Amino acid sequence: MILRTKNLSKKFGNRWAVDGLNLEVEKGQIFGFLGPNGAGKSTTIRILLSLIKPTIGEFSFFGQDFRKTGRNVYAKIGALVEKPDFYQFLTARRNLQMLAGLSGGVRDKRIDEVLEIVKLADRADDRVKSYSHGMKQRLGIAQSILNHPEIIILDEPTNGLDPEGIKEIRKLILRLAGDFGITVFLSSHLLHEIEQTCSHVAIIDNGKLVVQGEVHDLLRKNDFYVTEVQVDDPQRAVALLEKETWIQKITSGDGVLKIQIPAESRPHLTQFLVENGFAVSSVIPRTSLEDYYLTLLNRDVK
Amino acid sequence: MTLLLKATWYEIIKIASKWRTYIGFITIAILVPVIMFLVRKYGFGVQDNALNSMKDSFMFVGSLVNGLIVSYFLMNVLWVHFPFFIVLVAGDVVSSEGAAGTFRIWLTRPISRFQVITAKFIATFVYTAAIVLFLGLLSVGLGMLIVGGGDLFVFDKGILILSQGEALYRFLIAYLLAVWVQMTVASLCFLFSSLTSNSVGPIIGTYATLVVMFILSVLKIDALKVIHPYLFTSYFDVFFAPFSDPIPWREIAGDVGKLGIFILVFYLASAISFIRKEITT
Repeated sequence: MILRTKNLSKKFGNRWAVDGLNLEVEKGQIFGFLGPNGAGKSTTIRILLSLIKPTIGEFSFFGQDFRKTGRNVYAKIGALVEKPDFYQFLTARRNLQMLAGLSGGVRDKRIDEVLEIVKLADRADDRVKSYSHGMKQRLGIAQSILNHPEIIILDEPTNGLDPEGIKEIRKLILRLAGDFGITVFLSSHLLHEIEQTCSHVAIIDNGKLVVQGEVHDLLRKNDFYVTEVQVDDPQRAVALLEKETWIQKITSGDGVLKIQIPAESRPHLTQFLVENGFAVSSVIPRTSLEDYYLTLLNRDVK
Repeated sequence: MTLLLKATWYEIIKIASKWRTYIGFITIAILVPVIMFLVRKYGFGVQDNALNSMKDSFMFVGSLVNGLIVSYFLMNVLWVHFPFFIVLVAGDVVSSEGAAGTFRIWLTRPISRFQVITAKFIATFVYTAAIVLFLGLLSVGLGMLIVGGGDLFVFDKGILILSQGEALYRFLIAYLLAVWVQMTVASLCFLFSSLTSNSVGPIIGTYATLVVMFILSVLKIDALKVIHPYLFTSYFDVFFAPFSDPIPWREIAGDVGKLGIFILVFYLASAISFIRKEITT
């Protein structure tokens, strides 16, 4: 077990920002930490990195209670909390040199390596103030892997980036996990980011854990596969399908039927519609964490 | 220990990389030569006034004005004006990182907060020492070079005449003591800096404290004498003590010790505040 939290809680004033959180992250996972803004994700991460103290609860890295290991454990952990703020008046290389110095046992050569990984080698000797937001974000990830960490904790690393930047960071995260075997703890409020990047997910809302598990399993277990269908007479189709017991849920809007059925029932659905005389113009399977997520949070599913 | 040394070196790099660090050095580098050239060209009014009062008792031949006398009088800037250069940097050391959000990265490394704050404190001390000694070197050095060397006449409780060699030795002690005095100001500002997330507050706070303490120190009211020992400004004149004869080492040691207690208290309070600080920015 790389990371475990037990009843982790943090109270600000009268409000519990994090409330009895139990997380388990195994080696090799890309663990998504998902929740809407204000759910307590950043607070949890700040506790894990000792930027703030928990009100109650405990956490451990690599199976060892943090109260026993203390800050020494951070030698094996990389982190990027929210937007990366470096010393703007210093070069990227100088920033990394200083952080490497504080990490212990990081060779100078490693600085060139990480700059290469995040594709900033050619701008290494420029002052950080001349960097774009995307470049700073990549530099943030570079500093997080300086010390060959076993786990990196990334808090909303794609925040404020343009689509191209988001894509780059996402590719980088997958590469870190795939090529370097680093366990990734990724916090995000972007559902599709978690869906596309993570193997495991924990969903948090109002400081409380809603669910955690393997992304694929969570979707399958709940049969949360939605099939979008366009037919010539949607109203009649809804009336007919609602009577069928193998249909879990059906909604319609803008001429599109959203039908919740297990993935293996899709061929049967198409056959059923054709046999009942509908002209089927499209059948689009959609496996979305979004609907699942919104359902769990008791929000409206579109 | 190695980690603390590294962190201290990095803090010195950070201080040295900021423009505001050089404001004091540049001001001194401009002001001191200008003063020395003006004294050389137009004379030294303060000295003349002092001499005039003793003309009835003594006969002076030639000019007693030299670079050492000008340097001696220049030391008066260390009271109120010079601390501005100190607080300009000390006020920024901790608070600027809170405001800039750099602690979020810095404090996720395997270095303790105590080491981080200690490194910052030592770096502040290094800056303080550097700028005070820079003033000392420049004023004494340029004073001798531009205005000229010679014996130092000190007018205090009487007239003390120090040979050039002896005067230089006294200046060295005086400026080392001035470092300690300015470090008291720096450590107070450092404390304020560790409590806030902007550098203006600590600068204003330190200056306000200094002014209030000076007022309380100089008011010759019996009722206020009770609190004088608790005002660090009461010991600020220690850097003039080496120009007495003999040098009052015992008094100097006492004042240095008391200022040291203030420095230690401000440092420990800063450390406690910083260790307990929740990084939410």
